[in-house]
Amino acid sequence: MLVKLKIWRQTPTANGEFTRELVDFEVETFEEATLLDCLDAIKNHQDGTLAYRKSCRMAICGSCGMRMDGRAVLACKTPMKELVAKGRVPVIAPMGNMPVMRDLVTDMGDFWSKVRAMTPWLERASQPLTGPDGREHLVSPEEQQKITKETMCIMCGCCVSECNSMEADPAFLGPAALAKGYRFVGDVRDKRTRERLEQYNGKHGVWDCTRCYFCNERCPKGVDPRDAIAKLGAAMFDHGMTNDKGAKHAKVFIDSAKGRGPAPGSFGIEAPGSAILYNGHLSETALIPLTLGPEAALPGWAGMGIKLGKKGKVPPPWHGAFHRVQGLSEVRKLWNVLEREETAERRGGDLEEPVVPLPPNIAQGVRTQFTPEQIFEKTGAVVSEDITSGGGKLPPDAVDLGSYYGGDTVVQRFVADGGLERDHGLSGPVPENYAAQQAATIAAHGSKPGAGATTSKDA
Amino acid sequence: MKKVAYYAGCLASLSAKELDSSTRALAPQLDLELVDMPKATCCGAGDIHEAKPDFYLHLNARVLSQAEQMGVDTLMTICNVCTLNLRQANQRMQADEDVRERVNKHLAEAGVEPYMGTVDVQHFLWLITTGERYERLKTVAGGRLAGMKVAPFYGCQILRPSKILGFEDPDSPQSLERIIEACGGEAIDYPAKLKCCGFPIVLARESVALNEVTQPLSQAKERGADCIVTPCPLCHLSLDAWQGKAEKQAGTSFEMPTLHMSQLIGLAAGVDGADLKFQRHVTPVGRKINDAVVR
Repeated sequence: MLVKLKIWRQTPTANGEFTRELVDFEVETFEEATLLDCLDAIKNHQDGTLAYRKSCRMAICGSCGMRMDGRAVLACKTPMKELVAKGRVPVIAPMGNMPVMRDLVTDMGDFWSKVRAMTPWLERASQPLTGPDGREHLVSPEEQQKITKETMCIMCGCCVSECNSMEADPAFLGPAALAKGYRFVGDVRDKRTRERLEQYNGKHGVWDCTRCYFCNERCPKGVDPRDAIAKLGAAMFDHGMTNDKGAKHAKVFIDSAKGRGPAPGSFGIEAPGSAILYNGHLSETALIPLTLGPEAALPGWAGMGIKLGKKGKVPPPWHGAFHRVQGLSEVRKLWNVLEREETAERRGGDLEEPVVPLPPNIAQGVRTQFTPEQIFEKTGAVVSEDITSGGGKLPPDAVDLGSYYGGDTVVQRFVADGGLERDHGLSGPVPENYAAQQAATIAAHGSKPGAGATTSKDA
Repeated sequence: MKKVAYYAGCLASLSAKELDSSTRALAPQLDLELVDMPKATCCGAGDIHEAKPDFYLHLNARVLSQAEQMGVDTLMTICNVCTLNLRQANQRMQADEDVRERVNKHLAEAGVEPYMGTVDVQHFLWLITTGERYERLKTVAGGRLAGMKVAPFYGCQILRPSKILGFEDPDSPQSLERIIEACGGEAIDYPAKLKCCGFPIVLARESVALNEVTQPLSQAKERGADCIVTPCPLCHLSLDAWQGKAEKQAGTSFEMPTLHMSQLIGLAAGVDGADLKFQRHVTPVGRKINDAVVR
């Protein structure tokens, strides 16, 4: 397969400027080649000066984010076959919203500062430990499910590259950092929820998001950062943090749909009669003063109001009374039913996707509070009672892999032959005694990586 | 004539009324009978989804239930934001039986008929750019805007997230171009046509929003567009009513008329000027467009 590419070559010069040039390349490569394979071929055989980041080649490390035909992709996750078949010659460029260092390499300093600003670690100082031994905190599958998507983030920057709000306000925390933030806000083990929400609620925080959904569209791992930002907004509402203009804006939508709410200037108190402002449709009359507060009276906004008013775009306050949506009492009943039902479990819940059940073995292990002996009985796995020495597994014949993986599977065969059946993709012969070494290791420590500590119950 | 439940949405019912009147005048010519939904509330516009996700779901399920009770299979929107919010809730109700059961239980408590998931939410743009209705559009519009350079502006929530919208390739959509072509105009291509107009945060973060709306305005102007056309009332208002503020912030002038798709097609199809209501635009539509209005 012959792949043709145009790559932006950008080289810094002594005066801090860049020389920029769109260079054509042609690579003869294999059918399944990804964009990264093509770049590697160019670097290895045509031009060693081409600069780009890479490491794992399997969409895990998040190094090779770049733009192909204007959209952010992971080079290692982008097959070229279809483009070649269509005769397309894609343009390869560095990611957006970040300074370029050279060719396809961007400066991710700002990206990492923002991630660090989220305090991306668990803080559970005051959290009681709920495990049977008093030394661990059990998390139910339902609780884990709330942050599963956010934990998938590999920090590649594809979302940040495309974020329309960051383009307009580079100080915006942005989709990657905020998704990371939700990963901890939504984690039941973390006890800094309120402080975190206050921290993410500021000027360049959650309410800066313009809902362009580019982040969801581009994310190569299905994190859906925009949804994470919405969940942070919901968590702020749950904690009564509605001081930001963005939250006040949202509050007017809720009151509009319910057909009841406070009049502007009434300090949030619903006086009798103020309901005429809210008729089921968005109350445009209330939206501007209630979102902006006293600022609405400043010349810029007042002038805007007059300008819109002249064109009939500002409805009179009594408009709502004559154009009421029918059956609004149903909506208020719904609201009341939900308010009553609202529980801590549903706070910030994920509305985007149905909950995917976890595999039974994981669910079983996490949900139930079995003793190590009971776990051994059920799964054949030995769980160390001494946490400090780490966990481990018994030799594979003690574990019924058939029921784990369902019959004759690659995993079983891999375990059976010590990994020889798998194509390692390594050049050169496999060492003669490799199988024997592997078998001995497995016999001694089990098949899981990290085994090796003396953790067997029998030891 | 295909009967659809017509969900005009808040902006098009009020501050951007010109979009509603244009759509009502145009739709019958395109084989669509619009049936009003007197019980339909606001969809929440992403704001309720963000603040109170569970209430958002129930609110939209109630709207979908009304459409179902009307005996139609399609709910038609003329707004990107309504489209995403209703489709998102619809998918959730259709895909997850447990969710449907729970929401319907609550709907029953509030005296609302349950929603069984039989309604499809479609934007007006999608209904008229495929199949026979597109052929009809070509006849109705008749290429009467020949020589007009039109910059299509899609906005966000009719393209992304594509797993909920999914009508066309979110990175190279063609539906607005097809409409412009049917009207005889020339579609201008420019990078910002797929980007955000900034409207959702124009009150909460005005300068950020103005930086966003400046991009399509300046690029359309650079490429010599006579006007911008959009499928969304939020984009419409942002590009039209906030244009003056964007000009001030950017220190330049755009003078770029903005038309909703119903107005552009209406203009070509000879919809009455009293329905197109160009006098309600904050940025004047200018001579070229005014001269094309049938009076």
